[in-house]
Parts: sequence; structure tokens; C-alpha cells
Amino acid sequence: MTGLDFIALLPLLILAAATVIVMLAIAIHRCHALSAALTFVGLGASFGSLWISACRVPCKVTPLLLIDRYSLFYMGLITVASLVVVLLSYGYFEKLDGDHDELYILMLVATLGSAVLVSSNHFISFFLGLELLSVPLYGMIAYTRRRPLPLEAGVKYLVLAAVSATFMLFGMALVYGALGTMRFDQMATQLVLPGFDPWLVIPGLTLIITGFGFKLALAPFHIWTPDIYQGAPAPVAAYVATISKGAMFALLLRYFYQIEAQGQAPVMTVFAVIAIVSMCAGNILALLQDNVKRILAYSSIAHLGYLVVAFQASGQLAIIAVGFYLVAYFITMLGAFGIVAVLSGSAGDADSLSDYRGLFWRRPVVASVFTLMLFSLAGIPVTAGFIGKFYIVAAGASVAMWSQIIVLVVTSAIGLFYYLRIVVAIFSDSAGSADAGPAIALPGSVALGFLTAALVFLGVYPQPLLGLIRSLPPG
Amino acid sequence: MLGLLWLVPAIPFAGALWLAVVGPRLRERAVAVIGTGSIAAATIVSLLIGAQFLSSPPASGAYTQTLWTWVGVGTFQPGIAFYLDALSLVMVVVVTFVSFLIHLYSTEFMHGDEGYSRFFAYMNLFVASMVTLLLADNLLLLYLGWEGVGLCSYLLIGFWYKDTVNGIAGQKAFIVTRAGDTAMAVGLYLLFHNLGTLRIQDLMQAAHDHWAVGSPLAVAAGLLLLGGAVGKSAQLPLQTWLPDAMAGPTPTSALIHAATMVTAGVYLIARTHVVYELAPAAQFAVAMVGILTLLMAGCSALTQWDIKRVLAYSTISQIGYMFLALGVGAWGAAIFHFMTHAFFKALLFLASGIVIEALHHEHNIFRMGGLRKELPVAFWTFLAGGCALAGLPLITAGFYSKDLILWSTANSPIGGALLWVGGLIGVLFTSLYTFRLIFLVFFGDVKTPVSHRPGMTMGGPVMVLAALAIIGGFVKGSFETLMTTALPPFHEAGLGVSELVSSTVAGVAFALGLVVAWYIWVLHPALADQAVEFSGGRLLHRFWFSDWGMDWLYDRLLVRPLVWAATINKNDVIDSIYDGIAAVTTTFYRAASLTETGKLRWHAAWIAGGTVVTLAIVMLL
Repeated sequence: MTGLDFIALLPLLILAAATVIVMLAIAIHRCHALSAALTFVGLGASFGSLWISACRVPCKVTPLLLIDRYSLFYMGLITVASLVVVLLSYGYFEKLDGDHDELYILMLVATLGSAVLVSSNHFISFFLGLELLSVPLYGMIAYTRRRPLPLEAGVKYLVLAAVSATFMLFGMALVYGALGTMRFDQMATQLVLPGFDPWLVIPGLTLIITGFGFKLALAPFHIWTPDIYQGAPAPVAAYVATISKGAMFALLLRYFYQIEAQGQAPVMTVFAVIAIVSMCAGNILALLQDNVKRILAYSSIAHLGYLVVAFQASGQLAIIAVGFYLVAYFITMLGAFGIVAVLSGSAGDADSLSDYRGLFWRRPVVASVFTLMLFSLAGIPVTAGFIGKFYIVAAGASVAMWSQIIVLVVTSAIGLFYYLRIVVAIFSDSAGSADAGPAIALPGSVALGFLTAALVFLGVYPQPLLGLIRSLPPG
Repeated sequence: MLGLLWLVPAIPFAGALWLAVVGPRLRERAVAVIGTGSIAAATIVSLLIGAQFLSSPPASGAYTQTLWTWVGVGTFQPGIAFYLDALSLVMVVVVTFVSFLIHLYSTEFMHGDEGYSRFFAYMNLFVASMVTLLLADNLLLLYLGWEGVGLCSYLLIGFWYKDTVNGIAGQKAFIVTRAGDTAMAVGLYLLFHNLGTLRIQDLMQAAHDHWAVGSPLAVAAGLLLLGGAVGKSAQLPLQTWLPDAMAGPTPTSALIHAATMVTAGVYLIARTHVVYELAPAAQFAVAMVGILTLLMAGCSALTQWDIKRVLAYSTISQIGYMFLALGVGAWGAAIFHFMTHAFFKALLFLASGIVIEALHHEHNIFRMGGLRKELPVAFWTFLAGGCALAGLPLITAGFYSKDLILWSTANSPIGGALLWVGGLIGVLFTSLYTFRLIFLVFFGDVKTPVSHRPGMTMGGPVMVLAALAIIGGFVKGSFETLMTTALPPFHEAGLGVSELVSSTVAGVAFALGLVVAWYIWVLHPALADQAVEFSGGRLLHRFWFSDWGMDWLYDRLLVRPLVWAATINKNDVIDSIYDGIAAVTTTFYRAASLTETGKLRWHAAWIAGGTVVTLAIVMLL
């Protein structure tokens, strides 16, 4: 390693340093605002350092990590999302009793893990990043440990993540056994040579897909999702829904593009099946749910299904579609869970549909923002979600994946129903009291304001982001 | 300077957004400053752009400003792009300027209304949509403006929504124009599908290159676009929404139903003139729609007792003249009449607003009278507007523009003697109903006392418009030259009627209407009542009063059969398909929810089971 490598690694190093600083600060003086502020500054510094690293890329730091524009883009996305989650968490946890400082340490470590994932070029860094991301999440999900639901959700996530990780490790072992390398870039060259054993490689890749499928909550590995989202505190649920999945999807795209998995027909069949089942399962299971967090969980299953459709298309259009859709998905999911977070009080999360009945007449601004987020999830024009879905359909159509596109369109139409169910509840007459409840803390309003602005901006003027994504080679 | 073009729609839109978000918390004065200021700024920008455009015209005669492409795939490249040529320039300048005067007037007219900020937010949004429609470079942006205009008209007509009648009038406007919009959407898709581009100029070029004269596609496209145009511009057979739309506040009527929105159809046809040149049948249909509408609406205007409804029918009739001009290929004449009409019709509405407010919201012209002395500002300006509308020879703007249309009709290969005579009869009717209105309202005995006189913010804009209604016609020569840079020149053929003859005959028709009106409504006020005594007269009066029974016809033809069908088909057969889909999905949901047990061992089993299935897929396939 040289000094230049350290510059390329700067975003990761700053995250690691911020973790230590926050830990020391807590040891010296326990103060929620201070911990949150330090975390915020650390994440901000990491985000700022992306531009410094950008001068040094592409750059292989040891065989493990590949820092290039692609990984920097997703690191940026992850850090900005983490910044939003910090803002939401501060307002959310401030209302609760107990010490909340350690949450930020966990969050920084998880963000570091996500950053390692998006820049990994090796099974070792892949697994390291995965565990760096997963282990803090157990703690984050169960953070409000005196409540029964979060604790249950944390334990469930712990067990299931371990189960899926074992499948994945076994898959990696099979691939390594067949190809003799754990580096992504070398696997591609091995795979085009004759002489490798497909009976080891293909099942190996399939087992790795199980690991991806679990983290991305793709059907049939999706069963855990609603329980965890419902149980986790709303900002943590936002974290699980966006950052954890976004990092995994960025890695999925890079890994399978680098090893040129498009050539492996059976693997692509698996993805096709997963995409179709996810779109159907997510949208149908959400239909009559009465819990907003569960609805969002199912919705996220469907959205990841859409992403897999675009992922299979391959080529430039697919990279644009996936990149843009992930950004739109981040904004809307953070926004939707952010609404739940800011409306939740000390008594528990505001996640029942009845909590939202007549919201518009009590809090017109919050209700309008939530409606906008739901419209974006449903893919209605002038929101980022529409542009994202447009490019996914375009990417799919460019390689004539008609069956999956038809499923996408039909299930999106079904999906509209449950988004509109929430919208109807928001705008229905409120029989109850007209009091608005406590005012929303400033950090939460800032976060939601930023997300709303980004949502509309990207929906109307997507050009700059599209241009940026176009310049990112995944491999 | 031309680079500021995007500001013309952006400023009113920003104003609307601002008022929508913080408006209810602002004081009335602040709302007035934002609402009127945004339109004033847009007007200034458009005037500056206009000055630049005229002093140093772009080489190609047009200026395109492409801001960005919204989303792009294949030939579907909808840009956020604006196109400025002489046609859109004239429309934009007139629309923003007249809108500014109407906004200024509204600050006083709407004083004390509880929806003050809401009103200005809608009005700003309306202007933004209209300007977007006019400047749009491609079909999608044009459609956005088109629908935005439709939405705002709905919101403004039903502005006083607490009275159900107003809400219903808003719905009627929305639903009736929707019929036209659907035709237009199909037409736009037809153009896009066959010519493979969204940009209007490229489309016109491609149509010119690929389609022969009279080709069925061109005719179909022309007729479908005409469908959209007759909806928005309130022409036969979709004109029924406009008279009811008078339910909105009077400045709304001035803005939407006189000066700007209803001319969207005229603009659409002028913008796509290439299609009509390729489809003579469609162009002839435009002319026929125009002549029939102008005559029918002229008759109807003669029988109304509501001052605003008289003006509404006169609007329909005057737009009929514009359609006639488009139909006979006198493109520039249509736009010229649009401009003069914008001045005098906005003037008439605003002046009538002064009268209505002065008389405690009295609309019935038979309860007005003698206001000449009581409201001199309203009288003199209304007289100026009325003379321009009726076409007082030589000194009013309306005379020049209408005369140009009549002369073109006579001398066009598409027009001819019949259309010309129809147009002249229209002049007679226009003169008749205009002076009927003026004599009944401003002459005779005072019937309702005046309670309230207008201030300067209402009087000022009216006087400016009155001046324009008089002098606006003197630019005819240079206007025609300007228009030839954007629209094809008029080809003279046919009857060979000279301009002098045409003007003289039109002048005679005007004078005849004036004299008859004077005779009937000033000298022998009982005569009109006697005419209605006869059974034939009464029938004709009822027929015209109800707009040739169009509402009745639609009620019998469309509404009642639909209600009847709905009644016997209470358990909708078609609905059962959708109910079926809903039931099937619900069943799926119930079945799928069974997988949600919340048990950890079950969750882990799913992961294992899913892996087995995927492994089976790769092993067996």
C-alpha cells in the first residue's frame, strides 16, 4: 500500500475514525445531541472526502478493494442516506427514555460495512463488509430493547442473517473450489476458459444468490421482512430498507457483471424467477395490510423485484436504470419511513393505518409530503419514482424481456391500490380531535424537506443524475 | 435577451407555488403584490423578448431554447424546450399583458374574498399553463400546458364552490372539454406514431415530406386535432360549457373565457397548419365549424338576459370568426383577430364586472339601465369595447381584424360567396346584440341604483384596454408582415372582391345592426316583447335562448341514455370484471398471507426451501 492508496481509501478511513471518536466522546461525556452531531460531522466529512478520492480512482487497494467512480457514487449515496437517518434518529430517539448514543456507533460501523461492500473486489472483503453491516444491524433493530417487538425482530434478524450467511459462505467455497480464485476480476477470465466444473460453479453462484436474496428481501427469501420492519424503530427500518439493500444491490450488479454472469443461462433463469415472484409476492401481500411499516416492507420487496428486472437487461441502459432507480428508491423509502419516524411518539411507532386517518386535516404539510412519497413509490409522473420505473421498463424492453415487463406492469397496477389506500386514509375526514400533536423537531423537518425537494427535482430534471450514472462503469 | 424565454412560464409558476404554500398566511396586500407582480414580471420579460425578436430576428425566423430532456428513449425525447416564432411571440405577449391587466383589476375586484390567495394562485397557475402551451416545443409539453389550462379553468369556474351550481358548471367545463381533449390526445399520438418525433417543427416538416395532399392520415390527424380545438375553444358541437362557465368570478371570465384559454384551439390549429394544408377536407371542416358557430352563437346572444352570458355567446361567435379565418387559409388574419379580440373582450368583461359589482351582483340587463351618467368610466370603455366587437368602421381594432377575415373568406379558394355572406350576417347579428346590450344597460331609465363606484385599480386596466381596443387595429400592415415569418401567406383566388367593397358591405351590416337596435330597444321598447308574443316568435326565442337546444339535445342523446343504462345496469356487468380481478387478488392475498406466521423456524425453512428450489432450477434446466 502506498500513500495514494490511503487517499483513495479516505472515505472509509474517515468513517472508521468517526466511529472511534464517537465512542470516545460517549466515554467522556454522554450527550445525545453531541453524539448525533459528531456522527453527522463524520458522515459529512466522509461524503466530502469522496471528491478527494475521485482524483485517485480507479485504484485497487490490495486485492480486496477496488475504489472507482462506481463505488464512490454508491458510497456517496450511502453516506447521504446515513446523514438523513441520523437526522431522523435524533428526533425519534429524543422522545424516548434511556441512552441513545450507542446507536450512532452502530450506525457508523454499518455504514462502513456498506462502503466496504460497494468497493469490494474479493470474496473476503465481500464477506467482511457483509458482516460489518449485519452485526451492528442486530443491535440497531433491537435498540429499544425494553419493547417486545424490536427485541423479537432483532433476534429473528440475527438468526436468519446467520442462516443465509452460511449458505453464502458455502457457495463462495464452491466457486473458489472450482475456479481457484476469490478475486472477481480473475473469475471472469476463469469462467470463459474450458475446464472449470459447471456442476460446482453454478450451484455455488446459486447459493451466493441466496445470500443476496436474503439481504435484498427478494422472494422466496423475503419472509422475514415485514416482521423486522414492523419491529425495528422507524429510522432503523429506513436504514435496513435503504442502505443495507442499496449496498448489496450495488455489489450484486458489480459482481455478476464482472464475472459476466449473463453468459450463464441457468443463473439468469434464477434471477428471472426471483424477479417475477418478488414483484407478485410484494404487491399482493401488501394489499390489505393495516400496518404502514408492513406495507412499506412488502412494497420494498416489490421494488427490489423491479430492480432485478433491470439488472438482467444488462448493458448501459440497465446500469442507468438500476442507478437511478436505487436513488429514487432511497429517497422515497427514507421519506416514507421518515414520516413514520417524525409522527411516532414515546408511546410507540405511528404505524397503524388508523394513525394516518385524516392526517391531512391535522398536519397538511406532513401529509402532503407523505402523499408525494407514496406517489413516487407508485411511479406517478413528476416524481423520481416515475423516471426510475420508466428507465426500468425501457431497459427491459430493450432486450425484449416481455414476460417480466408484463408482470411488472400488472403488479404495479395492483400496487397502486395499497398506496392509494394510505392516501385515502390521509385525506379522509378525521372523526377524532383536530389537534396536531407536538411539533416536528427541526432535524426531522430538514431531512424531510431535503428528501421532498430531491424527489421533485429528480422527477422534473433527472438529467444531471442520469449523466453522472452514465459515467460509472460497474466493473 | 432571448435566453430569458424560460422565465415567462417559470415566473407565474413560481408565483402560483409560492401562493399555494404560504398564501393563506399572508395579508391580502402581500398576496396581491406576489400574484400581480409575477405576471407583471412575466409581461416585462415577454415584452423585452419581443423587442429583441423584432429588432434583430433570428436567422431562421424562430428561436428554440432547449433546457433539458426529461426522459429519453428512442424517438421519444420530450424536451423541456421552448419554441419562439412570430406566432408564439404575439400570443405570449398578448396573453401575459392582458393577464397582467386582469390580475391588477382582480386585486380590487376580489377584495375581501376569503379565497383571495387561492384565487391568485389559480390565476398564476393558469397563466403559467397557458404560456407553456404556447411556447411548447414538443407535443408532450404542449399537452401539459393544455391540460393545465383545463384544470385551472375547472378550479376557477367553480371558485365559489360552496354554491353547488358553480361546482357543477366547473365540472361541465371539465367534462365537455375532456371529450375534445381525448380526440386531441389520439391525434397527437397519431402524429407521433406515424412521424416518429415529438418536436412540433420536425413533425410539420416530416408531415410535409411524407404525406400527400389529402392522404387519409393527414385528414384523420387534422380532424382529431380539430376535435381538441373545438372543445377548448368552445366551438360547435362542444360549445355548451362556455355560457355556464360564467359562474366563475368576472375576472376569471375575462382571463379564461375571453382573452386566453379559449384561443388555445385557434393556436393549436395555426401551429399545426401544415397538417391542415395537407388535408383540405379537415380544413374545410374548420371553416364550416367556424361559420356555423358564429351564426348560432350570434342568434343566441340576442336572446340572453344575463350580461355575462351575452358576452359568453359573443366570445363563441368571435372565435367562430377565427376558425373561419383558419379554415379559409387566412392564418395571419385569425391571429390578428385573436389579438384585437383579446383586448376588447377582456375590456367588455372587466367593464361588465364594474357594472355588476356596482349593482349588487345584478346580472339581468333588464334590471339595469341609465348607467351612462352613473358609471361614466364603465360606459365609455364598454362603448369602446362594444364598437370594437361590432366592428365600427375605420376607428376600432375589431373592424380591421374582422374585415380582414371577411375579405379573405370572399377571396379564398376554400371560402366563397356563401361563407362570405354568412360572415356578413354574423356582423349584422354582432352589431345587433352588442348595441342591444349597450342600450339596455347604459340608456333608458335608471332601474337599480348604483351602490359602489370602481377605484383606480379597476378603472385603470379597463381604460388601457379601451385604448388598445381602438388603436390595436392600426398595426395591421406590419402585423401581417410579421406573421408571414411563421405562417404561410394568404393565397388570393376566387371571387376577387376588393378590400373596399368588402369593408363597405361590412360597414353597412354594422350600421344596419346599430339602427335596428336603436329602433327596437330605444325608440320602441315594446317591440321586442311583441315579437315574442307570436307562437313562432316565442318558440324561436326559446330555441335561441337555450343555445339551439344543444343542452337539451345532449341531455336526450347522451345523459339520459347513460342514466337509463346505469339504472337498469345497477350491478354493472363491466364492473364485475374488475370486481372479479379484485376478488382474485384478494384471494391471492389471503392465500399468500398464510405464509406470514411470524415463527422463526418457519422463516428459516423458507430460506432453505427457496434455496432448494433455485438449486433445482439450475440443476434441472
